[in-house]
Amino acid sequence: MNKAAIKRMTRRTEFYIFLVLLLLIAVVGVISDGALIRPNSSFTILRAMVVDGMFALCSLVVMISGGFDLSFPAVSALSYSLATTICLNNGWCQTSPLAAFALAVVFGWCLGMFNGWIISNFKLNTMIVTLGTQTFFTGLSMGLLQLKEITSTLPQGLKDFGSSTLLKVTDTLVGGRQVTVPLTSMIIFLIILVIITSFVLNRTMFGRALYAIGGNEVSAERAGYNVKRTKFLLYSVVGAVAGFTGMLRVCMASQSIPKALVNKEMTIIPAVILGGASIFGGEGSVFGTMCAVGIITVVSNSMLLMGIDTYWQDFFNGLVILIGVTVSALQAMRRKN
Amino acid sequence: MSEEYLLQMSGIHKSFSGVHALDDVNFAVRPGKVMCLAGENGCGKSTLVKIISGVYTRDAGTVTFEGKEITKITPAEATRLGIQVIYQDLSIFPNLTVRENLAINSEITAGVKLVNRKRWDATAKEALSKIGCQIDLDAKMGELSIADKQLVAICRALLFNAKLIIMDEPTTALTKKEVDALFTTVRQLRDSGIAIMFISHKTEEIFEISDDVCIMRNGKNVYSGKTADLTKKDFIYYLTGRELEDDHFIPTNISEEPVLQVKNMEMKGKLHDVSFELRKGEILGITGLLGSGRTELALALFGLAKPSGGEIILNGKSVKIPSPIAAQKLRIGYVPEDRLTEGLCLQQPIADNIALASLKRLSSGLGLLKKSSIAKEAAIWVDKFSIATDDPRKFASTLSGGNQQKIVLSKWLSNDLDVLILNGPTVGVDVGAKQDIHALVHELANEGLAVMIISDDLAEVVVNCSRVIVMKEGSIVGEMTGDAITEDNILEIIR
Repeated sequence: MNKAAIKRMTRRTEFYIFLVLLLLIAVVGVISDGALIRPNSSFTILRAMVVDGMFALCSLVVMISGGFDLSFPAVSALSYSLATTICLNNGWCQTSPLAAFALAVVFGWCLGMFNGWIISNFKLNTMIVTLGTQTFFTGLSMGLLQLKEITSTLPQGLKDFGSSTLLKVTDTLVGGRQVTVPLTSMIIFLIILVIITSFVLNRTMFGRALYAIGGNEVSAERAGYNVKRTKFLLYSVVGAVAGFTGMLRVCMASQSIPKALVNKEMTIIPAVILGGASIFGGEGSVFGTMCAVGIITVVSNSMLLMGIDTYWQDFFNGLVILIGVTVSALQAMRRKN
Repeated sequence: MSEEYLLQMSGIHKSFSGVHALDDVNFAVRPGKVMCLAGENGCGKSTLVKIISGVYTRDAGTVTFEGKEITKITPAEATRLGIQVIYQDLSIFPNLTVRENLAINSEITAGVKLVNRKRWDATAKEALSKIGCQIDLDAKMGELSIADKQLVAICRALLFNAKLIIMDEPTTALTKKEVDALFTTVRQLRDSGIAIMFISHKTEEIFEISDDVCIMRNGKNVYSGKTADLTKKDFIYYLTGRELEDDHFIPTNISEEPVLQVKNMEMKGKLHDVSFELRKGEILGITGLLGSGRTELALALFGLAKPSGGEIILNGKSVKIPSPIAAQKLRIGYVPEDRLTEGLCLQQPIADNIALASLKRLSSGLGLLKKSSIAKEAAIWVDKFSIATDDPRKFASTLSGGNQQKIVLSKWLSNDLDVLILNGPTVGVDVGAKQDIHALVHELANEGLAVMIISDDLAEVVVNCSRVIVMKEGSIVGEMTGDAITEDNILEIIR
């Protein structure tokens, strides 16, 4: 690597976020006497990263294109609630979870298309549009459809799928007690989505179109990109992924609660910004986003372990928003000069 | 006949909802020549460009390119013919690398779905080699200088085997040195047989670079032919439709006592031992190169920069000016250089902009704004400065540069002022509006206002000032009055 390349690397937010993550793991690792990196703890953290990580990737691609999606938790919740209710009423998914996932993806896709249609046709501020659709979708789920919580009656196929494990490791806890800790197989979906998102963003012209639109929409149009179609496709796909992710969450938690994701965007979006995505669009990477999700999960997990009040988690999340937005703004200022 | 021209347009008409934007426009571009399209703001230049590039469809008229008549132009067709437009904003992506910026258009045109970095690299290198310029391909576009960004935009246009390159006001944001570099590139392109259509309203530049010129006014072309057949005076006449004389300012009303005295002003690294006086009724020019301290001096007098030493005396009393509010209370007004970002709220009504500096005077005893007073105040100034609007409730952004500058002026003048500081009062303003603004400032001075013009436009300084102070490296290095004020005399001191 030559000097210029190193200099460029050190100017990227991702580089620092990665350092912070390493530092955090080292510090918490030392404080917890090594417990953090032992399977008992690290598998829990990986498990917690699955849903947040997949949501963060949804949020990332939208932010790269210069938009904001506040509605993905509502899209997700409406999709999985409706899908599980239908499966329950018809007695589906007793052995295989396939039908529930297919339904959730289709519903998510449709809701995403609704977002995409409004945004691409009326050229409105995406934050305002998705704020509106978020409320609208939540209202649809609670009011019109009267979707209920499904807990113990959740189809067996979904429960089994959610508790399936990739591997099991025997871990010796402090004090010598031996426990068997499982690593959830749901982590595979996060890994697959990470790979697909990286590929799309870096290796396809569709992904480059997102960066181009986020950088300068007028130029993207002049360069020959079909901005309208790109945006429509983007929001549709994000809706579908949100639906899928929501169904994963249902399986992992063994319950479908329509209100479970309310305000989820308020922890996901700050993480994405912290990971180097610009609030002005055009910047952001999968690597930075995953590092930031890692940081947030490690911190909240450690707080939980140390018995710190949950209010402090809000405090921490707020802090992350402020730091992320400040860094983003500073970068934009530097580019301007 | 048709062999001689690359592009020929005749009898072009275009109207938008009944309003004629273009009315029987005729012009021609020769290969390997630079053709300037000149005209004041709103004369139809951009509409014409959009017709050539296929963004708009013409209502009537014929277009001939390389001897063949083109019935319908679409953006894709224009590209295929070899017509490339470099817009004023350059259509670049600041967040992407130079490599991607260069390659992306050809990749999209080719309908490629996947990224091929090797081909991108080859395309980008080929593009830069067209005019032999050296730019780091891995650098982010947003980190380049404007001149380099422009080179990238030119290189990108050349990738499409451009035969005609249209440059929309390319020199607006460039320094003199960068303009010279750009002109070198333009000549290089011209000599390789490419026709350049150069859009500008700057007289000096047009005479320097162009072979042919087409002048437009109110949607009609009023002159088209060789630049060499035209004098500058004719040019300005065609451009504005008026005989514009260089009306030198003749002071008639200079006060005995100075209204403002600056004594031994110091500012670390910026100003050194600056002393001068300003009387009512005179227009004092302060000129010097970039970094000579002329702007810092203005900022210090308006409370936007802190001098580290010296004394400011206003009407015989020693004063301190710690903030713009203090400056306003002392009846000092300042019109900044960059009116768009510093002097105007573009997305606010014209009337509100005019009233902005005198809200206190226009509000009732309780501090509530009186809408009727604002409207009345706005009407006075719109009338006095003949600001070209039918309704002061429209946004300031609807006006041309010259009219916007008039708003900024009225904003300050609506408060009674003793001293008015103008920093680059006509930067980016077209010739006709420039003349209006100058005449206005002359009138104000003769009514008893003390005016300071800070400018590096020597022609402007010579025409408008009754006294000129020349600055260099933070110090005053020369002063001249009356007939001694000539560009040559000033240049001698500056260098």
